[in-house]
Amino acid sequence: MSNKMAVIHLESGCQQLVLNWDETQYDFGDRLCSTDDCIPGTGVYLRHGYIYSSLAGYILRKNEGEELPVISVVRETETQLLPDVGAIVTCKVTSINSRFAKVHILYVGSTPLKDRFRGTIRKEDVRATEKDRVETYKSFRPGDIVLAKVISLGDVQSNYLLTTAENELGVVVAHSEAGAQMVPVSWCEMQCPRTHAKEFRKVARVQPEYLLA
Amino acid sequence: MPVDTKRVRGPEVSQSPSLFLCKTAANKSFTQKDARVDGRQRGQVDVRSVFVRCGLISQAKGSAYIEAGNTKLICCVYGPREMERKDETDMKSGRLMTDMRFAPFSCRERGSWIQGSDEKDLSLMLLESLRPGVCLHKYPRSQIEVNVMVLENDGSVLAHAVTCASMALADAGIEMYDLVLGCSIRQESATYLIDPTYLEENGCNLASGSGDNFGSLTVAFLPSLNQISGLQSDGEMGEDILTGGVRTCIEGCFKLYPVIQQALTKAVRRKAPPSEN
Repeated sequence: MSNKMAVIHLESGCQQLVLNWDETQYDFGDRLCSTDDCIPGTGVYLRHGYIYSSLAGYILRKNEGEELPVISVVRETETQLLPDVGAIVTCKVTSINSRFAKVHILYVGSTPLKDRFRGTIRKEDVRATEKDRVETYKSFRPGDIVLAKVISLGDVQSNYLLTTAENELGVVVAHSEAGAQMVPVSWCEMQCPRTHAKEFRKVARVQPEYLLA
Repeated sequence: MPVDTKRVRGPEVSQSPSLFLCKTAANKSFTQKDARVDGRQRGQVDVRSVFVRCGLISQAKGSAYIEAGNTKLICCVYGPREMERKDETDMKSGRLMTDMRFAPFSCRERGSWIQGSDEKDLSLMLLESLRPGVCLHKYPRSQIEVNVMVLENDGSVLAHAVTCASMALADAGIEMYDLVLGCSIRQESATYLIDPTYLEENGCNLASGSGDNFGSLTVAFLPSLNQISGLQSDGEMGEDILTGGVRTCIEGCFKLYPVIQQALTKAVRRKAPPSEN
């Protein structure tokens, strides 16, 4: 159980507390607190055993049970999340190839990205089973919206590497060749409601609570 | 250097009228009197009062505007964006790109929109001063763009550009170790002029005594960490004068610090009013 405490404290500038909070004259070397009092969260950094802020925003102290409270600094405008290893991202397929599919990463978790980042889903990362007999043409098509997980930030030449090799990952929204939005039939097929034609996709098993009636 | 071929330059013997301007009138005020032209004192840490405001430009992620006397600068920050050219061998940290330009109407003589070589130099110095302050390791494979435009150049442009850029970075929500503040001085034999105006920076001061210890110095400073991230100096100065000048610039930075903090506080409050929980 975590309780959010006092979001009213304001602190400004990087690594400095503003006078409103402490009501003292600015003192060089003011810090948020020492590592004995709190655990650092986001928007802070550690230096010489003390926690300093690295953002201009509001302090958030969360109490998580018996452990030390987690202190972090947040700005109300959603912080620019970068796709991190292990994050679930929502992306749109831009082109496919016999070896991989290229995608544009649109959302990280549930926060939209302001700029699009590019990603790649390799053929062997599409499915968990029978990796060598995957055909990308039967798993994705350009324009599909796909849920994927980041496995690596990639090196100099490549983009973010993504995988859909889980039941919950894969194509979520796809349009058929006739132009209608398709309905998933099984884990590898989707059906067009207009023409009743079935098309192959690697379908994601979306949890029932996320589906709109 | 791009040359304007469409402009008629006149006959070969013609000279620019600016050579005949009455410069002696301007030089008179630069004798060793106690007051400077705008009423500030020599030899004392008397920086120009500064007006700063964050969050002016809606299209940019973060922006800041600074006015110090007549010097006016505006800075925009975009990012973190995906890196365009992937020729960096180390993808684990982000890249900071700075671009500093003078508007053509900013100086006494009309400039051009094309970036000149001194603008490129200033951009590089700005980059060097800002980079130690930004937590680039938190933005792998991304680039952050900082664009500074000088609207009016009335001296110590690099120093104010550094301050303006770090405020814009803070306004954009880019994580930083500390604010980077800039301050510059102009050394004139025995005394110094802190935060010089354009005339004080470029005025010819050989009339005021022996020709040593003349120069200018710009320092970029991280106040809470007490570290210097950039230092640029011009001219000839002795070692103690130089170190004294650096200390003076640091004092000037500390004088600016509360104003910058207040402006950032206001900007954060404006963006998201504090909520009682």
